[in-house]
Amino acid sequence: MLALSELQTAFRRALLEEDAPASRALGLEISAGDLTVAERLAVYRNNVFASLTDALKETFPVICRLVDERFFSYAVHEFIASHPPQRPALMEYGAAFPDFLGEFPPCREIVYLADVARFEWLMNLAANAAEAEPASPECLAGIAPDDAVRLIFRLHPSYFYLASPWPIARIWRANRADARGEATIDLASGGVRLEVSRQGGDVVFRELDEPAFAFRQALAAGSPLGEALERALAIDSDFPAADALTALFAEGAVTAASLSSSGTEPTP
Amino acid sequence: MNQLADISAQIPAAIGVGLRAPHVREVETTRPAIGWLEVHAENYLGGGPSLVRLEALRRDYPLSLHGVGLSLGTATGLDPGYLERFKDLIDRTEPFLVSDHLSWSVADGIYLNDLLPLPYTEETLDIVAKNVAAAQHVFGRRIQVENPSRYLQFRHSTIPEPQFLAEISRRTGCGILLDVNNIFVSCSNFDLDADVYLDALSQSPIDEIHLAGHSRVSRGGAEILIDDHASIVSEPVWRLYAKALDRFGLVPTLVEWDKDLPPFDTLLGEARAAERIAETWMSEHACAV
Repeated sequence: MLALSELQTAFRRALLEEDAPASRALGLEISAGDLTVAERLAVYRNNVFASLTDALKETFPVICRLVDERFFSYAVHEFIASHPPQRPALMEYGAAFPDFLGEFPPCREIVYLADVARFEWLMNLAANAAEAEPASPECLAGIAPDDAVRLIFRLHPSYFYLASPWPIARIWRANRADARGEATIDLASGGVRLEVSRQGGDVVFRELDEPAFAFRQALAAGSPLGEALERALAIDSDFPAADALTALFAEGAVTAASLSSSGTEPTP
Repeated sequence: MNQLADISAQIPAAIGVGLRAPHVREVETTRPAIGWLEVHAENYLGGGPSLVRLEALRRDYPLSLHGVGLSLGTATGLDPGYLERFKDLIDRTEPFLVSDHLSWSVADGIYLNDLLPLPYTEETLDIVAKNVAAAQHVFGRRIQVENPSRYLQFRHSTIPEPQFLAEISRRTGCGILLDVNNIFVSCSNFDLDADVYLDALSQSPIDEIHLAGHSRVSRGGAEILIDDHASIVSEPVWRLYAKALDRFGLVPTLVEWDKDLPPFDTLLGEARAAERIAETWMSEHACAV
C-alpha cells in the first residue's frame, strides 16, 4: 500500500506520461470490477487531456484552424504531457505553447506558426489582464523639464508588444472563425510590429511603425523616457516625441508615472 | 472565528444556476428571476473585466464561489499562493458559500485539471482535515466540501465515502456540498445504495446541493456513468433530490451545466424543475414544522 503522496505521484505519472512502472504500482492499489484498471484510469486520463485541450483551443483558436483540429489535438496532447499546467487558473495555461510549436518537428516548416501563437497568447493576456485606472497628463505637472528623461511610465496591464518577420496579423485575420481575409498571403510580404491592448473591454491590436514600436516597447519594459526616446530617434531622427507622449495619455495607456533615481530604477 | 459559526441564516434557501462565460451577457441583460449564482473561482482569479462584470451581477444576486483547484486531498498540503488569490476573490465578491471537492488535482506542483479520487483511509482523513482547516483559516470562514463522482475505488480504502465526509465535517466544522448527481453516478458505478449514502449523512450539516446531468457510456462491454454536466438532470437524480430534501430539508440547490452548453433558457428550465420539486416538498411539510 502506497502512502498518499506516493500514490498521487504514481497517479500523475500514469496519467500524464503513461509511465509503465507507475501504472503497475498504481494498478495494485485499484479494484477492477466490471472495468479493468486501465479502463478506469482512462476515464480520468481522458478528462484531463480533453479539458486541457479545450482550454488551449479557446486560447489558440487560430492556431487550431491553421493546423486543423486533428493535428492541433495531437500537438496539444504532446504539449500537455511535457508541459502540464502548474496552477488551476487555466487562462494562465499555455505560455510555453508558442515556443513548443516552434520546436515541434512536425510543424517546423510552418515558419510563422510560433509567432501567430505568440500573438494569440498576448491577446489572451490582454483579455484577462487586471483593470487599472488611466493616469492624467497632469501627473507630470511637478516634473522639472530636466528630469523628464528619468520618467518611468507604468502602462496599462493589457498592453503588449510583438514583432515578427512574418505577416502574422494578416495570417491571423484570414484564419479567424469569421474570416473575410485574403485567400493567399505572400509570406515574403514583410513582417509586422504589433501592439495588443484592451480598449473598452475588447482586445484590439494595431500595427506600429518602427520608431513608435521601439518607443512604446521600451516604455512598457520599464525603460526611462530618455532611453525610450533615444531608441526611437536612432531609427527616425524626426520622431515626434511630444506627440508620442500625448498620444499615450490620450488613449489611457499610462496608469502611473514616477522618476527613476539613477536612470534605471523607479522611485516608489 | 465567528465567521465559522452557523451561516445558514445568511443562505438563500432557493434554487441557483451555475453561471458560465457564454451565458453572462444574457444574465446581464435579462436579469432572470433566480435565487443565486455560482461561478468557478478559477475563472476570476486574474482580476480582469470578467471579474468586474461578476461584481456588477453580485449586486443583484447572492453568489457562491465554487473551486475546482484547491486540491483539498493533496498529501503535501495546499498551495499558499493559490489560497491567497482565492482569498482576494472572496474579499472582492463576498460570496455566501465557498466550496471545493473531496478530491485532489495537484501532485508535485503539477495541476491535472480533474477531480481525482482519494483512498478513504485514516491517513487521508488526517490530510484532508488538515487541508480543509488550513483553507478555512486563510479564508476566515467555513467552507463546503463536495462529494466527487468516482470511476475507481482503492483496495485499501477502509471508510465509506459519506462517513468520511461526515468525519471531515466533524473535525473541521466545514459544511457539506451534497452533489446528488455524483451520489447517483458513484453508487451506480460501484453498486452502492444511494439511500444508505444519504442516511450516513443524517447528522451532518448539508449547506448546499448540486444537480447536473451525466451520461452512460460503454467500456469493454461494461457500462459506466460519467458525470459530464452536458445534459439535463436525469429522472432518477430528480427522485434522489426529492429524497435528499426529505432527509435534509430545503437546502440552497444549484443546477450546473458545463459542456455542450445549451441556451440559457434550457438551464433556467432545469432550475424551474428543481423549484417545483422544492415547492412540492414545502407544501407537504408546511404543517409539520
